[in-house]
Amino acid sequence: MPKLDVEFLNPFIDGTIETLKVQCSFDATAGKAHLKDHIPESSIDIAAVIGLASPAFKGSIAICFPKVVFLALMERMLGEKHTEITKELEDGASELLNIIFGQAKRVLNQKGYSIEKAIPTIVRGDNMQVRHLTVKPILMVPFQTAMGEFFIEIALE
Amino acid sequence: MFAPETKILVVDDMITMRKIVRKNLSELGFKEIKEADDGATAWPLIEVGIATKQPYGLIVCDWNMPTMKGIDLLKKVRAHIEIAKTPFLLVTAEAEIGQISEAISAGVSDYLVKPFSSSVFSSKLEAVWKKASPK
Repeated sequence: MPKLDVEFLNPFIDGTIETLKVQCSFDATAGKAHLKDHIPESSIDIAAVIGLASPAFKGSIAICFPKVVFLALMERMLGEKHTEITKELEDGASELLNIIFGQAKRVLNQKGYSIEKAIPTIVRGDNMQVRHLTVKPILMVPFQTAMGEFFIEIALE
Repeated sequence: MFAPETKILVVDDMITMRKIVRKNLSELGFKEIKEADDGATAWPLIEVGIATKQPYGLIVCDWNMPTMKGIDLLKKVRAHIEIAKTPFLLVTAEAEIGQISEAISAGVSDYLVKPFSSSVFSSKLEAVWKKASPK
């Protein structure tokens, strides 16, 4: 059973920064990881969630965006301006998490974690919260961008 | 480099990635771009290309898709005598060693690991073209 420590977290943080930089030409800076013990001030309007499964553990990771940040990212990534999160744009959150997950999985599996392939799902709603299927602590990592803040959340059972 | 009139098939179940690939191809001057959302829907388009004597000159295909994965579409293309040498670029978010070995064994022209910049996309296309061009 892995710990939610730096070795486990960093590939997801690095993967997030790298994916946004390369695929969206968007700079993001990671803040300090902390336990999710309060509702973040920034609203969450779209999130992508992916299961973390290996023979030794299960968990989930979510990437959560306020609308304004997500739309700015999509504009950079697709070269199209949108004012609302359409069904078609929801796919973009999945794709971003899919790429981040792929990068982190590669690094972690080189260290013997044996994380399996998984497909992201999308959660939509105004000002929503993401619930992970675990009673264990959930770690949140905030990221700062020129358009505002977004988060990744990691939970292990 | 591939001629601007090259017929290109982009195969990906994620519409976002199809848009990204199409955007990159358009910026490089390509206009004959068709899309399919997985290997199973791509194959009939490829068959039409064979039947009309206008086969695709390049296939850019995601690895991880429902119904028919990119690696399976690659094997199907390589097994068809008329299109076996079609330049085939596999796009993947995973890039683990076992996966890359499988793609090379199946005859992939090259593979592109996500995330990728426009310049990396362009240089991969150049590499695929060089590999496919007669010496």
